[in-house]
Amino acid sequence: MEIELKKFGTTLISRQAGTEAFRAFQPTLQEVEKDENLEIDFDGVLTFSPSWGDEFLSPLLEQFGDRLILKTSDNLSVQATLKTLTEVNKKPFKIED
Amino acid sequence: MEEKLLTITQAAEKLGVSVDTLRRWDNSGKLVAIKKDGGVHRFYREKDLEIFSSDIIQIAHDWAKDDFDLPSSFYCSNSAVFQARLTKLESLLMDQPDLAVLFSVIVAITGEIGNNSFDHNLGKWPDTPGIFFGYDINKRQIVLADRGLGVLTTLRQVRPTLQNHTEALDVAFNEILSGRAPEKRGNGLKFVREVTTTQPIELFFQSGDAEVRIKDPEKEFRLTRGQEILRGCFAVIKF
Repeated sequence: MEIELKKFGTTLISRQAGTEAFRAFQPTLQEVEKDENLEIDFDGVLTFSPSWGDEFLSPLLEQFGDRLILKTSDNLSVQATLKTLTEVNKKPFKIED
Repeated sequence: MEEKLLTITQAAEKLGVSVDTLRRWDNSGKLVAIKKDGGVHRFYREKDLEIFSSDIIQIAHDWAKDDFDLPSSFYCSNSAVFQARLTKLESLLMDQPDLAVLFSVIVAITGEIGNNSFDHNLGKWPDTPGIFFGYDINKRQIVLADRGLGVLTTLRQVRPTLQNHTEALDVAFNEILSGRAPEKRGNGLKFVREVTTTQPIELFFQSGDAEVRIKDPEKEFRLTRGQEILRGCFAVIKF
């Protein structure tokens, strides 16, 4: 399943907004099949910050592990935030083209 | 709170304009003077001049220290207001040709610092809630301040052994506080440090009497103890 993160907003900056987005995402998440990958596309996202990212991506990483795939992004804030979240979670994200 | 009043000559000097200009501005309402005891002489409050000339660093710092009514353009009473204004700053930065790539991390670190104020003080604001959020695109600076509890008080909730503001900022900027705590994991300042040491962005951050500086070109993380104490937080981002 591919998720376009921009559908949650293009300025993704607060814990509250990240939590809300994760909650709103739950019904869609139920539809992910047992061995299906969950791909996150950052295209169109302008600003991505660790507070938002921690509330949305970290639980997904925990739930999906290797099945969570992040598509590469040349957005500086996406790159910097993923780096911070990797340190926080002590677990790398799987990033693919 | 003591009000410092300047004469028209002093005010003119401070603003870099002529006394005649100030008289005209008073008459036109652009910058209204105070006439003491219904007299003829014009006087100006230093605060009003600062706001007029938009020395946002000075205003934010003074507000963090002493509290006064902020112009609404600088005051964000809650995080929704902050989000809306930050989104506006994002568009303004994106319009600058030299910031086409850098804008995203500038906005991200501003968001982290601003939202920290709301996250950590919600329901516990000692007096005026909310934050000062101002920016000057021409001067390439962003200023944030709050009158909250400050980093030491906040971190002591999870790290009771912290001795002083300097230790608190050291932990806030350098240690990952993760783990399964029910408390929100505050790692925004680590992110801010990481970004400002690797990008052409400078940071000044104060809480209590501890000050963090990350400046070009050395990009060292410098943590020092300053002369004055702010209860809340104060930050200046330059890019």
